[in-house]
Amino acid sequence: MLKIAVYGKGGIGKSTTTSNLAAAFAKLGKKVIQIGCDPKADSTMNLLKGKPVSPVMNYYRDNDREPESLDEISKEGYGGVVCIETGGPTPGLGCAGRGIITTFTLLEDLELFETCKPDVVLYDVLGDVVCGGFAAPIREGYAEKVLIVTSGEKMALYAANNICTAVRNFADRGYAKVRGLILNRRNVDNEYEKVKAFADEKGLEIVADIPRCQDINDWEDKGMTVIEGNPELPISKIYLDLAKKLLSEDGQSY
Amino acid sequence: MKQTFALISTYSSDQFGICSALYELGGMVIIHDASGCNSTYTTHDEPRWYDMDSMVYISALSRNETILGRDSKLIEDILDTAGKYRPKFVAIVGAPVPYMIGTDYKAIAKLVEDKLGIPGFGFDSNGMQYYTRGMRDALKAVAERFAVERTESGEETGKEPIKVNLLGVTPLDFGMTGAVGSLKKWLAEHGMVCNSCYAMGCDIDEIAKAGNADISLVVSYGGTGAAKVLKERFGIPYVYGIPMNASEIAEKIGDRGGADGSKDIVIIGEQVYSLSLAEALKNLGIKARVLCQLDRVRDSKVNEEKIEFIYTPEEDDVIKETKEADLVIADPLYGPICGAGKLIELPHMAFSGRMFENDIPNLIGDGEQIYNRIMKEVKRSDEQKPTPGFAGET
Repeated sequence: MLKIAVYGKGGIGKSTTTSNLAAAFAKLGKKVIQIGCDPKADSTMNLLKGKPVSPVMNYYRDNDREPESLDEISKEGYGGVVCIETGGPTPGLGCAGRGIITTFTLLEDLELFETCKPDVVLYDVLGDVVCGGFAAPIREGYAEKVLIVTSGEKMALYAANNICTAVRNFADRGYAKVRGLILNRRNVDNEYEKVKAFADEKGLEIVADIPRCQDINDWEDKGMTVIEGNPELPISKIYLDLAKKLLSEDGQSY
Repeated sequence: MKQTFALISTYSSDQFGICSALYELGGMVIIHDASGCNSTYTTHDEPRWYDMDSMVYISALSRNETILGRDSKLIEDILDTAGKYRPKFVAIVGAPVPYMIGTDYKAIAKLVEDKLGIPGFGFDSNGMQYYTRGMRDALKAVAERFAVERTESGEETGKEPIKVNLLGVTPLDFGMTGAVGSLKKWLAEHGMVCNSCYAMGCDIDEIAKAGNADISLVVSYGGTGAAKVLKERFGIPYVYGIPMNASEIAEKIGDRGGADGSKDIVIIGEQVYSLSLAEALKNLGIKARVLCQLDRVRDSKVNEEKIEFIYTPEEDDVIKETKEADLVIADPLYGPICGAGKLIELPHMAFSGRMFENDIPNLIGDGEQIYNRIMKEVKRSDEQKPTPGFAGET
């Protein structure tokens, strides 16, 4: 089972990247679970034609009890991708990080992996590793690899650096390792060179170089990933190639 | 009001279930919390505290350590203390404050284990769950980690007594009544022997022997996790139940005019214990229902006699049920909701701590149904084993 956590600065395109990657894995015939770990609960929207799954935290808020089946907190999207959103507390109150851990514990209790038998699990995590809850996806038993989405912008690279540091601080705990960077271009000057310099400094690989592309926005407006909208597009091929690369590394055929 | 206890006590928490289960095994148990939790445990829920040494510590978590997520202080303290005393294992037990900041106890335990070479356990307890769950997780963890493959001790004559694991024995459910001795005596009287007792009157070597058993007897919810592990790892089958002689309770029921079975009787307590008592009363012609507020086993094998069973965590529901009943068999602290004259006191340490510890009865005895269940399961298990030398014969 390939388990990946996707991190990166807020607004850098993590959810877009993760859901396109999920769709690409599904397109290659894999059973995929995508878990959005962000109070905004918008990670899986483009896999569900804009009809979002109700977040786990909403379930707790509305029912004041634990859900008893996966059906109550998940929805199947494009290519059979199982979509789950942790959601978050009432804005300004509670603890979003604790909400993520609670969701993970619940998914274990409901035997998510045993039931769905996924080939690939993707965790789309809010911004930075700001507290214990947001490190939960990289704990032992969850993601084994971390992909960091970044552009060549200074603040995006700054966040990527923080994430690298946090993950490396956990090395002796058996947590996930950073697999590489996904360059999600914003068309800043010398963008590739800037990101490459950062990658070299950290000893990381740029595993995908995604150009700024209007097709992504166009299909998002229709509640879809580009893989679902038009898998023949050059941009779709980039996501499919990344999915193939990650599957090969994991010893999975496609 | 949901999940509010206005009139009755609350059961012991998951942290203390873990501490109680591990108390005699020679490990170092660290409750990760601000100081205070340990005295609740030692004063109320741990009757062995003054008579038997055990390394139970509190980390004395501070405000700044919490806000800053400073696990390093805890880790350094454990490395220092465990390095000095070399316990059989280190167990880090979660509490409400570190729970809220998502402390990764398992990761800390791994780190300690890597540095000291001492087995480490991290338990995600939070003080908001019942002792039953804590006990289950702790006994499951030691079964996973320490129980080893069956070892044959010489020639088998075919007349060896059936070796039984007793799973889920702690003072929280059985008090200090000599229940372990009685259970072992009961086994001996029925041609069986205790192989491993999880976890009273037992050390880590005995925990390791659990793989040698022919069968496990789960005597409380706390034993369910270990039972499943031993079944998965070594194919050891398990049954539920406590052999009980209910004549002492039946006599009290008789004093209230219920000996003829005409009264609506409800037993409140831990599931396996209460169902076993109801079963024993049934043998004496007295019908009783069981009400459980704690974690419960959902396996139908736990209630083979089909005793009427009600699960509810809510105090309001307990009030309703006790109102409808003629007699209630429960801990004395259920008194305020039972109404005058209804309560037959059966102290339960997990509910009233040490308040009534001298009044906890030892009901172990009889239990023919339990014996039959064990024999049936052992026989079934034997039939499933391949016969040596049979393969290939015609």
